[in-house]
Amino acid sequence: MKNSQQRDLFPGALEMMILRTLKRQPLHGYALVQHIKRNSNDLLQIEEGSLYPALQRLLKEDLVKAEWGISATNRRVRIYKLTAAGSKHLEHEVSRFEKMLEGITRVLAPGES
Amino acid sequence: MNWLKQLISRRNLQSELSEEIREHLEEKIEGFVATGMSRKEATAAARREFGNITLIEEDSREVWRWPSIESFLADLRYGLRTLRKNPGFTAVTVLTLALGIAVNATMFSLVSAFLLRRPPGLDPDRVAVITSLNPAQGFLPDANPVSAPNFIAWREANHVFADMAAADEYRTVSLTPQGQPQALRSAAVSPNYFSVLGVSPELGRAFSDGEDQPGRDHVVILSHDLWERQFGSDASLIGRNIRLNRENYTVVGVMPESFHLLGFTPQLWTPLVLTAADRTAAARKDRTLYLFARIKPAVTIEQARAELSTLARRAEETFPEPEKGWGAAVRTLPDFLIYSFGIRSALVILMTTVGFVLMIACANVAGLLLARAAGRRKELAIRISLGAGRLRIIRQLLTENLVIAFLGGSAGLLLAYWGIELVRPMMTFNEAISAVPLSLDRNVLLFALSVSLVCAVLCGLAPALTASRTDINTSLKNESRAASQSSSHNRLRTVMVTGEIALALFLLIGTGLLVRGIFLIEHQNLGFRSDHLLTASVNLDEARYKDVAHQILFVRDLLPRLEHIPGSEAVAAASDLPASGLASVALQIKGHPDLPDNQRLQTRDVVVSVDYFRAAGIPLLRGRTFTDMDNATAPRVVLVNQEFVHRHLNDQEPLGQQIRLDVSGAAPEWSEIVGVVSNVKAYSEETRDDPEVYEAFLQRPVSSFSLMIRTDSDPDGLSSALRNAVAQVDADLPLNRVMSMSAVVERQKAGNPLFVRILGSFACLALILSAIGIYGLVAYSVGQRKHEIGIRMALGAGTPDVLRMVLREGLKMAAIGGAIGLALSLPLPKLFDGILYGVHFREPWLYFIVPLAILIVTMFATYIPARRAARVDPISALHQE
Repeated sequence: MKNSQQRDLFPGALEMMILRTLKRQPLHGYALVQHIKRNSNDLLQIEEGSLYPALQRLLKEDLVKAEWGISATNRRVRIYKLTAAGSKHLEHEVSRFEKMLEGITRVLAPGES
Repeated sequence: MNWLKQLISRRNLQSELSEEIREHLEEKIEGFVATGMSRKEATAAARREFGNITLIEEDSREVWRWPSIESFLADLRYGLRTLRKNPGFTAVTVLTLALGIAVNATMFSLVSAFLLRRPPGLDPDRVAVITSLNPAQGFLPDANPVSAPNFIAWREANHVFADMAAADEYRTVSLTPQGQPQALRSAAVSPNYFSVLGVSPELGRAFSDGEDQPGRDHVVILSHDLWERQFGSDASLIGRNIRLNRENYTVVGVMPESFHLLGFTPQLWTPLVLTAADRTAAARKDRTLYLFARIKPAVTIEQARAELSTLARRAEETFPEPEKGWGAAVRTLPDFLIYSFGIRSALVILMTTVGFVLMIACANVAGLLLARAAGRRKELAIRISLGAGRLRIIRQLLTENLVIAFLGGSAGLLLAYWGIELVRPMMTFNEAISAVPLSLDRNVLLFALSVSLVCAVLCGLAPALTASRTDINTSLKNESRAASQSSSHNRLRTVMVTGEIALALFLLIGTGLLVRGIFLIEHQNLGFRSDHLLTASVNLDEARYKDVAHQILFVRDLLPRLEHIPGSEAVAAASDLPASGLASVALQIKGHPDLPDNQRLQTRDVVVSVDYFRAAGIPLLRGRTFTDMDNATAPRVVLVNQEFVHRHLNDQEPLGQQIRLDVSGAAPEWSEIVGVVSNVKAYSEETRDDPEVYEAFLQRPVSSFSLMIRTDSDPDGLSSALRNAVAQVDADLPLNRVMSMSAVVERQKAGNPLFVRILGSFACLALILSAIGIYGLVAYSVGQRKHEIGIRMALGAGTPDVLRMVLREGLKMAAIGGAIGLALSLPLPKLFDGILYGVHFREPWLYFIVPLAILIVTMFATYIPARRAARVDPISALHQE
């Protein structure tokens, strides 16, 4: 339970972050987690493993694709890459998220009413 | 989406995922080790931060799941397991369905071979076949050939066809390779015949323009079969000469093996030569040509039909005498071939019958499933209470039925394979039939598959629907006292068994009518003696026997030789064998008023030699038969049969009356009736007596006739002597169809006895299946009512009371089902009259015998379980829970 509260900020949040990170550059699983952790200044405590089901969902919907390759540390890893559909989906999700955030901010803003 | 690829690549995907996660952990551990942790600490920390590996792997895989397929597979496994646990039930249902599917697939192989096979050639649906419409009706009146003048006129005047060819399909030629001459069926076709059909030879070329001109017409194209059989598939035959009708013909081509047009498949083709005589008005009565035409693009078959009927009307207006009443019919090639082959209605009857058998089989299986569903109420109730939805339950039950149907379908196909092997050797009653290969082809497989699917739904839907409506509470509470709650199941089964009885009765009466009809034909008095009679047919070719004097000479020379064959008692020549479908001609009787063309009197007409009546064994009733004195110079005389006297002369004195026959190609002359003979059936397959006129061979010789030798021993023993005698007169003349008259009659029956035998076995199968259905239902309901019966008996009901109670149940179904079946089968005789030409089906007693038989079978099927019920020991029945 604790687990899912921590992970699911809201449905689709993790996917959105993955897509955003991959948009910058193709990465493998471990590097992806490190990126997200670092960029969020460790504010978002995500469980590393929960990355994988999310990646599988994205793979299934053809939003990312994966290829076996060699990492900087010379390991055989699967490198994930954003597809055209993924990049489109990301734009859509981000604009949706921004609208939602705007709504939430307005409601939370003090003393306007 | 590419779900199939996903489904297949799933296993691969999972191992990749595991590897990926392993690498991830490794990298993480190394990261921690680099910060100074020990390896052990690093591993623990990495695992902690990563989370539950198994759960994550499972969650990841879950993403790829395809829920409906997986649950289907689960249902399938479950269904197989339940079926394995009930081998008796499985065997009975699978076998019942297998039988039903097997007979259907076997019969469908006939449909596939005869009706679904596309004719060869380019786009056969765009080829029209044009035939004449005979105003005199008769057998297939709208598939009569067309006259040469009409062919020429229609080919030039029409606007709907790109090209039109004509074929004279039924010619006989003699081929003399080495040794014995052979008579072969040939067709004379216009040079564009093959191009109209869109076929080309496998060797050599088709006919070219101008080869229909006299002098250039001695070219021939062989069928693949003849080329292989007679010439050993010798490719160098092209360009060489062969002897046909005593003349040299150059072989220009060989048609491929696939070039089969059902009844229109001769052994060889020669060019059709149309002479000046073929353009005269007199030639209009000579209808010998089938017209094949390629329809212009964008023209429909209806437009072609309309155009041709206009042209036929124009011919009728211009030449009222020969064309009166005649029309034109247009069909597409595939349609025409099947129509003229006359097999469609027999196949419709067969398919309907096996369809009914299948319905009965399905009803039985559905009954068994219903009974089982009742027994499985508790299991289903538990499933429903554990949260299974109604749809899910229906789906599960249907999947189980699918398994049964699939097993039944596979077993059925296996049986059908044998069935086809069994039917194939029987389908040889004429050349065209044996030329059609029967096999378990793709159509049959598809058919069997779809029939299995339909079966699964038919058998399973009712049980599944009722079962899914299971009321959890009552089902779980009630232990085995299921007597009252399954009443709706029983009602459904009662309806189904009643339907089975109705169908079985319908089939039995239908088959009974056919069996009786065919039996009557097989045992009818044909009016002559067909035993101890050897026959052969002769076709005097034009090359040597052009004028009638030569024809007469041949017969005069040959007949005495035949008489001298040891064992021969009487010999004759006749234009047609008795009871083999004589030609019909119009006639006029002196002193009777002239009738309008389409109402003119008709009679069958045959030309016979002097001893014909003795050889055939046809008794003379009045007057005299022919003598040698009735020759070309003597006054014309004829004999008639009783039916002629009765129908055309109103039973007045026939001797001395003058009649005139309207025979094509012969000048009409008044002839005197000098004798009356008894009736001979016009066709051995029909029960009708038609008026007949016999003409003397010496007075009207014909070039194609049959020889008959009455023998005192086995007629087939004389066939070589017959061949020798003919060879002495003319060594190059082939004898065709040398066989005993009984064999001729047998051939004319065509497939009818086979047809009836097949139908009979299906009807019996239907009866057996419905008996099993009745037995199953009664036995089951008795088993369920054991408790009730125990109470009744404990309260004082005797064995006879219980027996009566159970029997009543069965008899009620038999009575209702019987009544429905009887009502359904009332119009059958009329239906069959239309399908089997010339046979009348009137057998009222069948309508008593068959219901009686059904009643007896029902009684038996009910009696066995009823007796068991009556023997119930009340104590044990009540104790049983």
